[in-house]
Amino acid sequence: MAQVKSQTKVLTANRLRNGETVYYTPAGTWSLYVTEAKVSTTPEEAEALAKIGADAYAANQVIDVAVIDVAPGSEVKPTHIREVIRATGPTVRTDLNKPVAPPQR
Amino acid sequence: MYIYDQFDHTITRERVAEFSQQVVRRLIGELSEDQFRPLRLMNGLYLQLHAYMLRVAVPYGTLSSKQLHKLADIAKKYDRDYAHFTTRQNLQYNWIKLEQVPDLLAELASVEMHANQTSGNCIRNVTADQFAGVAGDEVEDPRIISEVIRQWSTFHPEFSFLPRKFKFALTGAAKDRAAIQFHDIGIQIVKNDAGEIGYAIYVGGGMGRTPVVAPLIKPFVARSELLSYLEACLRVYNLHGRRDNMYKARIKILVRDLGPAEYARQVEEMWPMTRAAGVDVPASEVARIEAFFVPPVYEKIAEPVASFVAAKAKSSAFARWVETNVHPHKAAGYGAVTISLKPIGGIPGDASSAQMHAIADLADAYSLGEVRVTHVQNVVLPNVKQTDLFAVWQKLGEIGFADGNIGLVTDIIACPGLDYCSLANARSIPVAQKLSTWFGDLDRQHNIGPLQIKISGCINACGHHHAGHIGILGVDKAGVEFYQITLGGAGDEKASIGQLLGPGFAGEDIVGAVDKVVNTYLDLRQSPAETFIEAYRRVGPTPFKESLYGRR
Repeated sequence: MAQVKSQTKVLTANRLRNGETVYYTPAGTWSLYVTEAKVSTTPEEAEALAKIGADAYAANQVIDVAVIDVAPGSEVKPTHIREVIRATGPTVRTDLNKPVAPPQR
Repeated sequence: MYIYDQFDHTITRERVAEFSQQVVRRLIGELSEDQFRPLRLMNGLYLQLHAYMLRVAVPYGTLSSKQLHKLADIAKKYDRDYAHFTTRQNLQYNWIKLEQVPDLLAELASVEMHANQTSGNCIRNVTADQFAGVAGDEVEDPRIISEVIRQWSTFHPEFSFLPRKFKFALTGAAKDRAAIQFHDIGIQIVKNDAGEIGYAIYVGGGMGRTPVVAPLIKPFVARSELLSYLEACLRVYNLHGRRDNMYKARIKILVRDLGPAEYARQVEEMWPMTRAAGVDVPASEVARIEAFFVPPVYEKIAEPVASFVAAKAKSSAFARWVETNVHPHKAAGYGAVTISLKPIGGIPGDASSAQMHAIADLADAYSLGEVRVTHVQNVVLPNVKQTDLFAVWQKLGEIGFADGNIGLVTDIIACPGLDYCSLANARSIPVAQKLSTWFGDLDRQHNIGPLQIKISGCINACGHHHAGHIGILGVDKAGVEFYQITLGGAGDEKASIGQLLGPGFAGEDIVGAVDKVVNTYLDLRQSPAETFIEAYRRVGPTPFKESLYGRR
């Protein structure tokens, strides 16, 4: 998968207490699912996401905070393979993977 | 096996209590991540892509069946029902929750285990020959001095904040099964002309972005002076190792920059001071430790063992497994079994809790309760009677670990790579799986003969690619995984660093490229007896380059 220069970005981190990979949502919460992430489309919005991440880090909610590229389009999808793997799980243990979107409730 | 004394119990228990408090303070926000990170690393706790990872120390690769049962229980209770055996004879859990770490560590401590010094800039877990104590070719059981070093280096105040991490490896035999020359300090147990046992000291080896084969610094150090000599080696490094640049902070850079002779001279100059400080262990204490490693009482069994011979004659598959997976034992009528954690197409080094329990049960039933971990990510039952080998092989078949591929092309080392590791640039495990499947036919493996493929997902080289006969290094090329091939590395007593052949290959092309390398070897070898590494050393890289890239 080729890396695409993207203006669309989301905020990700790992939850402090259990290390889970999480994404910042429009509701101001952290979700396990990348498709629920709040997407920024401008440098200003990306900067705002970075600030939210820094605050959450300082508040000891999350660690390893990063604003990452996602592909433009209706479904939020990371562009770099590292983030694709973070979003779902190890490609060699798909039995342990989580879906990119929450199960139907 | 070594059994903790009251002091070991106390410091382990105190460390669990201390780190448990630190975890609590972190969770309630009294400690920031910047403050907590070095503390968790000293306790073997990393953050990886999907969760925390805990690296548990397996000192010199020796485990009791009771400990392995506990490790399996922990995998089920705190992880996702499996664990990963590493190239440093350790065990890693991939899905750990910070809030559960105190309970996990308490469970580990209940079987005399911990995760101390499995990370951080300190002396890491000491590794050793997996056949220690049972190999017929050893001068002395390396676990004795490994345990002395473990005790000396545990929480050593002077060496808890070294410029970088520091790794020891020991071999008791001239045949190096512990890759000692790729360690910060490698120790080979030797005998001098007077018949006295001592230690040859290699310093400044390593892999990573600057691979170095360690030079011999001192050919013979007497047992009575070993620790003061090692302390002098560490002190020179601690004083002069670079702290300004983490990529130049390992002792290999210091030894290279000073030159081995000048480094050795400075150690000699330092040695009287460490000697005078009284760090050397009294003979009585070494004898106390040695008593834990007195060989078990083996049954007197005359060879050949008729039932074993008959079983091999009856089953060629069993005979082949014996050929690759059973190492000669110093006691007649016994063998040391290497259990391959490399089933064809499987994940190198992974074992489920059920598999770990089953191996522990086999150790109890057939191997005097003992298990070893190898740096090649396999597991050893060191004391199996030849009469029991067929039963062990059959039972291993029931858990999917009966592959007879030790030392062959599918006995691949692979680091966790980008599937788990936050440092990785590319995936390692899927490449290992594809290669294993491609070369899976056992006839073909035997035709190819001894061949070590080692795969790392980044330049840190946890997959030992520099020491692979065929090394594969994963790189990130503009967001795409590419794989470079090196040839000619070796991690044994003829240690060498693999040479890069040329530009890397895309993930979908790497198996084909390795296949071309292997076929080139098959075409040019002088006879089936000439191994891959022997052939490479005879002809050099050119024929292999031409097969991959054409004539240039």
